[in-house]
Amino acid sequence: MTWFAPIPLSIKLPLLAAAMMVLVGTVASQQVLRSLAQVQDARIQELARMHVEGLSVALGPLVLRHDIWEVYDTLDRAAQAGEGRRMVLTAVADERGRVLAATDPRRVPVDSDIASLGEEAVTLDALSVDGASPVLSLLAPLTYQGRTVGQIATELDVSDLLSERRQALLFLILGNAIAIGLLSAAGFLAIRKMLRPVTTLAGQMTETQGEPHPIPASDIPRGDGELARLARTYNSMVGAVAAKADAERRLAERERFVALGRLSSSLAHEINNPLGGLLNATDTIRSFADRPEVVRQSADLLDRGLRHLRDVTRATLDQNRMDPETRMLTPDDFEDIKLLIQPEVSRLALDLAWSVDPSAVTGCSVAAGPLRQIALNLLLNACAAAGPSGRVGLIARAQGGNLILQVTNTGSAMPKPALDRLLDDGPLSPGGGVGLRLVRDLVTTMGGAITHAHENGVTRIAISLPTSWEARDAQE
Amino acid sequence: MEHSISRRRFVGAGLAVLAAGDARAQPVFRLGLTPVFLDNDAAVIDGLRHALSRGMGRDIELVQRRTYQEITGLLLERSVDAAWLCGYPYLQHADLLDLVAVPVWRGGPRYQSYLIVGAGDAAANLSDLRGGTHAFSDPDSNSGYLVTATDLLRMGEQVESFFSRSIFTFGHRNVVRAVADGLVRSGSVDGYVWEALAVIEPDLTARTRVIARSEWLGFPPVCARCDSLGSEPVRALQTALMSLSETEEGRLALASLQLDGFQHATAGLFDGIAARMRDLDL
Repeated sequence: MTWFAPIPLSIKLPLLAAAMMVLVGTVASQQVLRSLAQVQDARIQELARMHVEGLSVALGPLVLRHDIWEVYDTLDRAAQAGEGRRMVLTAVADERGRVLAATDPRRVPVDSDIASLGEEAVTLDALSVDGASPVLSLLAPLTYQGRTVGQIATELDVSDLLSERRQALLFLILGNAIAIGLLSAAGFLAIRKMLRPVTTLAGQMTETQGEPHPIPASDIPRGDGELARLARTYNSMVGAVAAKADAERRLAERERFVALGRLSSSLAHEINNPLGGLLNATDTIRSFADRPEVVRQSADLLDRGLRHLRDVTRATLDQNRMDPETRMLTPDDFEDIKLLIQPEVSRLALDLAWSVDPSAVTGCSVAAGPLRQIALNLLLNACAAAGPSGRVGLIARAQGGNLILQVTNTGSAMPKPALDRLLDDGPLSPGGGVGLRLVRDLVTTMGGAITHAHENGVTRIAISLPTSWEARDAQE
Repeated sequence: MEHSISRRRFVGAGLAVLAAGDARAQPVFRLGLTPVFLDNDAAVIDGLRHALSRGMGRDIELVQRRTYQEITGLLLERSVDAAWLCGYPYLQHADLLDLVAVPVWRGGPRYQSYLIVGAGDAAANLSDLRGGTHAFSDPDSNSGYLVTATDLLRMGEQVESFFSRSIFTFGHRNVVRAVADGLVRSGSVDGYVWEALAVIEPDLTARTRVIARSEWLGFPPVCARCDSLGSEPVRALQTALMSLSETEEGRLALASLQLDGFQHATAGLFDGIAARMRDLDL
């Protein structure tokens, strides 16, 4: 039955219904044929009984007298009557079994042994139209005035009954075939119609691209049936999924702002540090406006400080651009990331190892925005995990058509909830951050893969991203 | 016809009442019939009865019995006024019976006994039938028994031993049926009946074949007791029989019987049968 399993429910159920109807039709036909056989048996037994009893009455005294001619004449006249058409042969014998006369004297001569005629003969009660032979043989005692004076052997032509039975069988087969065909078609259509909501539901669940869509209200069955409840439940689930996705988007957005917040303090520090120097430079210029070398020196100092501030500002702006996916990754993006993470590295006095292969990054066709977010999130986590005076590293290189982004850090291993958020799609445990889950979602969306290892006190997270849509398709 | 009979009955009944027994109501004439001819045909019987009734001017009751013996007995005990017998029972009771008339068939008052077999039977004569089954018409029938029995005697054989089994069908037509249907191998039958059947039931006789014909013998006569031969009813019957060919109804009856008419008969007509009877008694 394994072949049956892949057939859709909308085909399977109607087929089962049709099969049931065929079964019912077959059983009903069997019953009809059985009843017909019983009726025919009863009919043929009644007919044979009347024949034997009638002949017994008519022939009793003739058999007693061994009046061959009268026996024959009576049989012959009986054979001419309507009943005779069924009785193809009747032979009458005396009590010793010697034939007195038969309707076909040439076949059953006078004085022959009636036993030779009745080898396959049955008694009256055992007479049955069994379908094997068109002629039944009957051997019955000829009783007259309460005693058996002879025997009657009769052959009954039941070919018409067999024909009737065959005809009934044919009609039943034809009738059932037509009825079952019509009912099956009607049942097929009815069940298909009944199952349409399920088909729609299955279609909505399997054919949706991106996100599931609710079933339109017009397609939901009326009433409060199981299917209507199923459709409404599905719509509720779709709503819940959409709400969840929306919530996750909002969380991710918030996480981005959280990351931004964490950066902003560093940025404030980064801006504040040179600000003192810059203000000193302006004071110096005011105080020594008449000394060109001092003014030039102070102006150079101002220029470096302002350029640094401009770079920091640009990196922050790029990080928060609203449509970052439209731009492809360049080596400058890694410079920006380095610039953005630098304050955190400085604050924690970390040792940062930075290795970016420009050729791998330049032609990789990877969206800049998501990758910047991924790298920044991973680096911020790595900095936090490495702790003061730890080591943090980033490597970007090409490998087998993929862009490999590897972030390492010393320090303790990642706790399990954090690993789950990074490596699994399971529900988020309350209280945890969403930065790592955002990394996972972004990598998944880009068709990439994440691996994690913790060896010799170094945690290594590697992101493998296909460098083009073709490669992504091939990977899938 | 019925009107005149009814009137006659009415007048007769009235006279009976008026004359208080002195007047005689015309009694019904009772004529016995043996299965000598086509006694199974109701139309033939009716035709004969009507023709004779018209000719005699009185009602006729045709009395039929299964055997010759029964009819002969009825005649002897006066239960019938006359009877169409066979030459053999007539001669058996020649001392009590006398001839009223004899039919004329194919120009003469004689007929033959036929020995018949099935159409496919190869037998050519009586000798070939040894050990077979045989159908006689009636033990008191000349053509249907006496002829074959005496033929066998002349061959030095007995009916009982020559045939494996012999049966009586009590009707010449039955003999033909028995042979045609294969119930028996051979049969002794009235030649007149066989020829008549050949006309009206050719399919039946076609299934039989005549392998021997006897000499011409006296046709089965109409007889009455000697003591009633001169009585008015019997004389009326004799007159009616003789004049059957003179009326349309009579001619129709004769035609259906395939007879030419009736004529006076003498005892000498049955000498051939008498000779066979003597052989049988030896």
